[in-house]
Amino acid sequence: MVSVIHKMAYGVKHILELDIAGHNLVPYPDDTFIVSYPKSGNTWTRFLIANLLQAEPPLTLLDMERLVPFVDGQTRRFFHHMPRPRVIKDHGPFNPQYKNVIYIVRDPRDVVISAYNFVLKGAIIDESYPLTTFVNEFVRGARSAVGSWGENVASWLATRGNSPRFLLLRYEDMLSGTAHELGKVASFLGMQVSADGLAEAVKRSSADNMRKLEKMHGDQWIQNKHMKRKDIPFVRSAKAGGWQAILPKTAVAEMESAWGPLMAKLGYELSTSQAVETGAATATLTER
Amino acid sequence: MIGELKYVLRNALGKDIAGRYFTTFPDDTFLVSYPRSGNTWTRFLIGNLIQPSGSITFLNIERVIPDTNALSKSDLKRIPRPRILKSHQHFDPRYKKVIYIVRDPRDVALSHYNWQRKRREIDDQYPLERYISRFIAGDLAGWGSWGEHVLSWLATRHNSPDFLLLRYEAMLAEPLHELGKVAPFLGIAATPETLAAAVERSSADNMRKMEETQGSQWVTTKGRREDIPFVGKAKHGGWQSLLPESSVEEIESAWGPLMKTLGYELTRRSGPALEPPFIPLGDWGARHDQSNL
Repeated sequence: MVSVIHKMAYGVKHILELDIAGHNLVPYPDDTFIVSYPKSGNTWTRFLIANLLQAEPPLTLLDMERLVPFVDGQTRRFFHHMPRPRVIKDHGPFNPQYKNVIYIVRDPRDVVISAYNFVLKGAIIDESYPLTTFVNEFVRGARSAVGSWGENVASWLATRGNSPRFLLLRYEDMLSGTAHELGKVASFLGMQVSADGLAEAVKRSSADNMRKLEKMHGDQWIQNKHMKRKDIPFVRSAKAGGWQAILPKTAVAEMESAWGPLMAKLGYELSTSQAVETGAATATLTER
Repeated sequence: MIGELKYVLRNALGKDIAGRYFTTFPDDTFLVSYPRSGNTWTRFLIGNLIQPSGSITFLNIERVIPDTNALSKSDLKRIPRPRILKSHQHFDPRYKKVIYIVRDPRDVALSHYNWQRKRREIDDQYPLERYISRFIAGDLAGWGSWGEHVLSWLATRHNSPDFLLLRYEAMLAEPLHELGKVAPFLGIAATPETLAAAVERSSADNMRKMEETQGSQWVTTKGRREDIPFVGKAKHGGWQSLLPESSVEEIESAWGPLMKTLGYELTRRSGPALEPPFIPLGDWGARHDQSNL
């Protein structure tokens, strides 16, 4: 019975285009998608881009959801009426319908810690949940609807890595040279932005400023409003390499043996030798 | 509006085509390929192997190894588990166990051309060269390009014990040997006799005969042009005499490195040096018998 009511409600919403877009989104060839595995710096990147798209400050997290919306966060009607060219966020693995893609990648050893915190925030697990168990699930993609980290990254890199309509960003490079990386994004989007304009967007998107904005509007923000634990922030330390102090050695080894060649290709230095050997084997495969 | 209402009603009743979004189970096996790569033949081979008592026909194949793009969500729910499902989808993380069939894209392109003529999506005058350019761009159907499709699966899964890569050309040369790999992958006990019987019942001749009498009732061919058969020549290398040289060159310059990785010899001696595709996980050579490549 409940399911029938759900289906009827969905039917009415669909006719009114008020259902969440998700995989029913109709992409246009001039759309650009900001894609990443979850917890890889996507929100920061969107906030940076939103600040380029809207010159008039100040910008809130709610404005960002409107300027660079999430496919699973807005209705079909919203996307239908959005001015083109659109910039849209997604976390999905390779999708042939997405013609212009900015893909953000982050060291999976840091991603897993951020993912652990995110699941804590949602009160799906508590602090007693062993990190090593969580890492094992992460490697298998067990809690993910968008594949494992390796599957998600490899699906895009292998299909689009050589395309001029694909821009790969490393979260770590964005941290160390934010204005420089944002400059690449601007030209990929065909925007003319001065050095001052880039610097201003970077300043407004600082971790400190985003923390303040999260405190102001966090309860209304789609990312936070269904999260049970209000004591854990969405905007975290905004640093790279945190895993070195937190991740157990066995967990690091597990990740590196699963994804060693991919991590090495992306410039994430491996700490175990076993994974390096796997990387060498792959090099001969691709040359064969 | 009427279309929307129909969609809503179908969706509520589970009568909409399953496509990419339906309920999967952890014990499902997916038989995946780009369209026109030998998927139907493989369905017959596997079907005849798992159902040795009665032969597979175009009239019962959808109950044995259903097509996710022909059946509805509720149809698929009624298939007894563990299911083997046919799919033409690019990488889907929900597919945990996958048999992937790959075929020389120069032959795939030609077969695709005939298929779209059969479906009356293009007419016989449609220039082949133009068709090949669109085939490479991947804008003919919703499946993505051939190269994207193959790479999306290889890059994510080729090193997994739950992924079996089959080459159509190897299946043509040694069907017994290749079907012999499928059986243990599916956990089926097979003897040389049951394998040989499955191969015999799935021969191109048999399938052609069945198509003649059953083609007008099969979901995939119903209402399509009858002068163009669904079961093609079941050969490889047809492109060498049928594909214009410029088209061969276009295909090879788009996907040359990937084709080489898969063992498809290129006609081009030189040309722009292309980056090899990045297939990152593990050691492929150790898992796949080199002599078959």
